[in-house]
Amino acid sequence: MRSKLPDAASSRKMAASSAVVAILASIWLCSSIAADASGSSSETTMHTNNWAVLVCTSRFWFNYRHMANTLSLYRTVKRLGIPDERIILMLADDMACNSRNKYPAQVFNNENHWLNLYGDNVEVDYRGYEVTVENFLRVLTGRHESAVPRSKRLLSDEGSHILLYMTGHGGDEFLKFQDSEELQSHDLADAVKQMKEKHRFKELLIMVDTCQAATLFNQLHSPGVLAIASSMKGENSYSHHLDSDVGVSVVDRFTFYTLAFFERLNMYDNASLSRLFNSYDPNLLMSNAYYRTDLYQRNLQEVPVTNFFGSVMETVHTDSAYRAFPQKNTPRETRIRTGNTAEDDSRRSILTDMTKAECPFTRIVSSLESKMETVGNLDSLVNYGLVMILPVLVVSVWLST
Amino acid sequence: MAKVEKKEVAAATPPWKPKPRPIVRLGIVLISHSLLVSVVCCTAGIVALFLLPMLAKNTYISENALMPGSASSMLSNHDISEAERLAKDLTSLNSGAADAGIERRRVLAKYLSDLGVEVGYHKFQSHQNQFHPLHFFSSPDSGLSRENGSCSSYGINVVGIIRAPQADGKEAIVLVTPFNFRKNSSSEALSISIGYAVFSLLSRVSWLAKDIIWLVADSQYGEYASVASWLRDYHIPVFSASSSHNADSCFEGNNINLSREESPGRTEISSGFRRAGTMAAALVLKVTDVKGQLEDTLSVYAEASNGQMPNLDLINVVNYLAVHRQGLRVKVEKFLSVLTWEWIWVLGDTLNFIGKVAGSLNPEWKFGISTPDYVEGTATLASSLYRQALGIPTGPHGAFRDFQVDAITLEISPKVVYTNQGRRNEFILRSARLIEGVVRSVNNLLEKFHQSFFLYLLTSPAKFVSVGVYMIGFALLVAPLPLVAASLYVDANKPEPSSQDPKQKLQINFKPWKWLSAAKQVFTVHAWGVFVSLLPYFISQIPNSTPAAHSIIWFSLSTFGLLVLYLITKSPSKPQKGKWENLKSLTISAVFIGLLLMSVVNFATAQIGALVLVPACLLAQPLKLDIRTASLKTFLRIATNVFISFVAFPPAGFFILKGVNEGFGNMDVGEFWTWLESLWAWNSATYIYIGMVHLPCWVLCLQILLHSC
Repeated sequence: MRSKLPDAASSRKMAASSAVVAILASIWLCSSIAADASGSSSETTMHTNNWAVLVCTSRFWFNYRHMANTLSLYRTVKRLGIPDERIILMLADDMACNSRNKYPAQVFNNENHWLNLYGDNVEVDYRGYEVTVENFLRVLTGRHESAVPRSKRLLSDEGSHILLYMTGHGGDEFLKFQDSEELQSHDLADAVKQMKEKHRFKELLIMVDTCQAATLFNQLHSPGVLAIASSMKGENSYSHHLDSDVGVSVVDRFTFYTLAFFERLNMYDNASLSRLFNSYDPNLLMSNAYYRTDLYQRNLQEVPVTNFFGSVMETVHTDSAYRAFPQKNTPRETRIRTGNTAEDDSRRSILTDMTKAECPFTRIVSSLESKMETVGNLDSLVNYGLVMILPVLVVSVWLST
Repeated sequence: MAKVEKKEVAAATPPWKPKPRPIVRLGIVLISHSLLVSVVCCTAGIVALFLLPMLAKNTYISENALMPGSASSMLSNHDISEAERLAKDLTSLNSGAADAGIERRRVLAKYLSDLGVEVGYHKFQSHQNQFHPLHFFSSPDSGLSRENGSCSSYGINVVGIIRAPQADGKEAIVLVTPFNFRKNSSSEALSISIGYAVFSLLSRVSWLAKDIIWLVADSQYGEYASVASWLRDYHIPVFSASSSHNADSCFEGNNINLSREESPGRTEISSGFRRAGTMAAALVLKVTDVKGQLEDTLSVYAEASNGQMPNLDLINVVNYLAVHRQGLRVKVEKFLSVLTWEWIWVLGDTLNFIGKVAGSLNPEWKFGISTPDYVEGTATLASSLYRQALGIPTGPHGAFRDFQVDAITLEISPKVVYTNQGRRNEFILRSARLIEGVVRSVNNLLEKFHQSFFLYLLTSPAKFVSVGVYMIGFALLVAPLPLVAASLYVDANKPEPSSQDPKQKLQINFKPWKWLSAAKQVFTVHAWGVFVSLLPYFISQIPNSTPAAHSIIWFSLSTFGLLVLYLITKSPSKPQKGKWENLKSLTISAVFIGLLLMSVVNFATAQIGALVLVPACLLAQPLKLDIRTASLKTFLRIATNVFISFVAFPPAGFFILKGVNEGFGNMDVGEFWTWLESLWAWNSATYIYIGMVHLPCWVLCLQILLHSC
């Protein structure tokens, strides 16, 4: 009947030696984080933040759909909670301002034109001829020139879940960039390996919508990588439908059905990745979607899609407040990010600090609880209270009539 | 015993002789069997030509960016009713009045300026095409256009330009509608209707990436001349004031000062020349009345000067949209007389049968073609080949090709002359939608047309033979020429096997120079060919004479020139052995070089020329020799030689072809002159080919035939 937080319960039981208990609790809570601080493996790291890298690699008006694909996904991940500063959006061309566009400054992914993807809040990080294989690999590996602003960098860490979405024209083990370059499967695998070595991600989901997309994953070896492709080797990925008003195909089949899946979800849904993977119907796609899961340890049925496509993660409540920080004992500045708990090492310092200074909230709660303790029969007290309410109700009704 | 033999062999040959390379040995084998090789190759070449309709591939749209038909048409009935109002206004003007032309022009300009587009007049002087021997292959900016002509022949085009609202204005698409402002023609009014409907729509749309130019070409001096002069002024700006001043003074003399005209519409009408970007493509739109059609038909004309074709993608887009979107029947020109030839049908049946047999042996072999398809294909192919070989543009689109702009003429002919307004509107709607679709497709282009073929022959609107296929037939046809030339040369210069005298051996060293006299002969005849080709320039200066008189003067002068040359260069020495072989060898080499050069300039001419010249050259042999050894074989050869040399004579060939197609009833000597005049007027390389390759080689063949050996 009484369910309370475990640390609160323990503090109630051992009110006298709360300091000692707090130390124990901190060890119990943060054992995994402490273990990870040594940097041995990321499996034990907490998932702390989400990033998305969305890439459209093809130029020209007749590739309108690739830009629409990418912008649709951009909208979806934003809706599901990844903030703009954690989305790296790369668009190889500007269809919205193409002179052939019947609707200037608008991009649609459906012929019903209900949704303008190119609304007010689109931050394109890499545009036009900036979208090159070199820049793409620099973003992934984080090896930028010093002048590149932070907004154009993938500032992920070992607790990051990264969604990498790419669309364009591909072939056997390559993806064409800008009609002039190619990203080969080796390049991608190499970049992912570097990212792994540099602890730039905890888990990485690569989603590719091109022809023969599955071949792009052939060289991947790094653990923690999950890959979805729109088509197998030798298959084409087709566009979904033609907008005869704009005069081009506006969305690809794979992306269309991915979006259809996400449109039914909101930030709080618990749909798993396996549900997403099973939602692809080869008859509708006109190709076979491919999943590469051998590098991924977790059971896909237990991983919510929002782990990658949104920014929803397990929250850990800690009794912390800014006042509680004795600055002299915390050498590093505490950084607090939106949607996240504080950084690992700073949290560790918070918990150790609790041994010295108890926070006022905890003090009030514990004093209240100790008062409650003195009341012998809690249930009867509640019942009396309810009975007392009845006359008050009668009186108030009588007064109002 | 064996040892002794070996020694003898060693004495006969040099002590160390390298083994020749395989390619050299192959060459030697081919040359030594040149007769067999030439028979096989020539037969194969002619067979390959007749197989072309079977090998034709279906056209496909090669350029991704085009996306024809992906956008739905935006043309509304309002556009059409506006266009019909314009057509009514134009036709209601009294055609008898002297200033009807000016009034029509003003009405059209008012309508255009009401659309809010830029309107301008373009004044030009028409000039007669004249033979200028140095202007072949030269740029279209020939000085003659700037010459002061009389004020009597001028025309005024009306030009409307829509600026693409969101683009940079570096490119443009041109629509051309020929219109005679002085005459009342219902079909021309219909074409103006279609053009205006499309243009008024395009002036409102937001998706233009290229400017749209609508040229209403004043066709009173011919459709081509007005378009060509506008294009010339578009591409070659005049910086000196003299010529334009001259034109202006003309206009003032005729009381048409365009610049002072009041501006009735939303935009000002400028008399200055208006330009847009480089032209991506051009469409010439015409409406013709052809009686007795089953449905509305679209004829596509694509051949420009010297057999140049627009990119195949342009034809593909038009064909795709016309057939699959607007349900028009698309036609390309064909020789109707071919359809009546019995042997073509028999050939078609045979090929059909062979295809079926092959298909039953191996289902993968699918080269069968139904007999009517084959005959239709042959007729179209023959027409395509002939039109290209002629080198004369088949419409105003030819003027665009001179500036490397892809252009075609679309000739739409309604099933009947529509009297019912509803039916007429529907016809306009379909035609205008076709034009709109093509414009929208070309508007999507990112670069010039470059993906598809430029060198092709059409066998139907949706089938083509590409250069890679049709070159095979030509290559087979000319392949024996160098082999036969080499083998003849070897034969002619073979050392006498019996000669042991050291003095004679010395002579053998000089023998290779024997071909020099033959070379001199070949060269003289070719020089005569140049002389003959230049003669018409002088003959055409003679005033007040008929084409027939021209022909006779030309013929007699040429013959006289040949006689003079023959007398001058006649060698006094008696004919020696091997002389005619040398002559033939060199003739064949000259033909080979001439045909190869021509195949680069205009393939179709070279192909047709090769069909005549190759057998003529290969079979040529002195008649005397054949008569001496009278047998069935030699008799046959004499007959063939005489026949071929008769057919190969250009006037004779021309009249035979004409007779076959139109009947031998009314022949005029002047026709040949007129025909050639049209060739040089259009700067066709075929004229040069006839004068400088075909005619000299024909004369040389005659010389071989009449050789006194």
